[in-house]
Amino acid sequence: MTTFYGLPGAEAFWHGTTLVHFLLVALAGGTAFYTAVLGLRRPDKARRLAWWALGFIVLDLFMLWAESPARFRFSHVWLFLSFEPASAIWWGAWGLATSALMLLLLALGLGPARFWSGVLALSSAVVLAYPGYALAANAARPLWDHLLLALFPASGLLVALAVVVWLRPREEAAPWLQVAALASLGLTALYPVALMSGGADARAAFALWLRDWGVFLLGGALLFLAAFLARRAPGPASLCAVAGAFVLRSWVVEAGQHSLFMHGF
Amino acid sequence: MQPGHNRLWIRQRELGVFPDLTVEYRPEQCLHCENPPCVPVCPTGASYQTRDGLVLVRAERCIACAACPYDARFMNPAGYVDKCTFCEHRIARGEDPACVETCPTGCRVFSDLDDPKSPLHAWLAEAERVDVLRPEMGTAPKLLYLNTPSKRGLAAHESDVES
Repeated sequence: MTTFYGLPGAEAFWHGTTLVHFLLVALAGGTAFYTAVLGLRRPDKARRLAWWALGFIVLDLFMLWAESPARFRFSHVWLFLSFEPASAIWWGAWGLATSALMLLLLALGLGPARFWSGVLALSSAVVLAYPGYALAANAARPLWDHLLLALFPASGLLVALAVVVWLRPREEAAPWLQVAALASLGLTALYPVALMSGGADARAAFALWLRDWGVFLLGGALLFLAAFLARRAPGPASLCAVAGAFVLRSWVVEAGQHSLFMHGF
Repeated sequence: MQPGHNRLWIRQRELGVFPDLTVEYRPEQCLHCENPPCVPVCPTGASYQTRDGLVLVRAERCIACAACPYDARFMNPAGYVDKCTFCEHRIARGEDPACVETCPTGCRVFSDLDDPKSPLHAWLAEAERVDVLRPEMGTAPKLLYLNTPSKRGLAAHESDVES
């Protein structure tokens, strides 16, 4: 039996608002990436979507600031006054800021649109990738497996495409919605395999995953429905895609933040 | 310190099988790793390592994210990450950290790992086993555990170590 005098810092440190951020950042990065692809091909068609993507970024930045315990110390300014290239969050901050600037220029129709779109493609890819990278870098939380480096960008793009289906002609985005849903579904199926085949920590995390496997089944079923319906009925498919991605991403973030080491190492 | 938050805690464990039983009391805290994983992932440079090897947090830069394989960091209600500092302010005055000075059984020693004449090296020479926590992570903690019942020495195979 293990007991403590005092306690390690193992309690959950994120709340429901953080789960909303993990959905919003996917929406922001994904719509910005789609805007970039559209802007590279037909810049004149990208302006309306650029406003939407900019709005999602502003909303996400507000959510990040509002839910931070450091919000009234304004220490976030140090994200832009430091040079920390080994930090995923540092990259994410610059990715969001650069994307916001490029989107504003695209939305206003100022300057070389294709060049801005190229920069936006890179910066929005960073925004899509950094949440999974930031989680996977935390060695204390084995549920945050390195597979998140792929699962989070894929499911992030899926969330964005589900929204784009409502903002753009459906026949344009629906095939990509299907591809993103299938990719997310495949990576979701790989997740327990990645845990099972890891070291001792990953196997402990797999035991935790087994406790909540029903959540993954629900999320996987929603992603399957999204892929199945994407070309037939894009509207319902998009709802399934957002719900499935939210269930899976929220479970990974929420369940993953609990320490597995309270009972010894 | 706010109630409910701890820079240092004691893990108490019952080990072994009757009749070969023992109880271990193991103090745990920030291990001031030589390769601290919390420093490179800090996005604002709030977490840093001093030239003397202490791992510290600049509260004014911290945006309150934490990453420690040993759960040694916690969220201070004032909105920044907090942890053991090895009593940096006391060390600067040439004093021992408070945990060393106040330990009633004298089970802790604090001194310079690079100084072969320091008391620590005498303790190390006498110890049957020396361990660090989670050596497989490559963090090279600078808090060393001597003759810990749950450990079998750094040379032992990982599977021999009771967790």
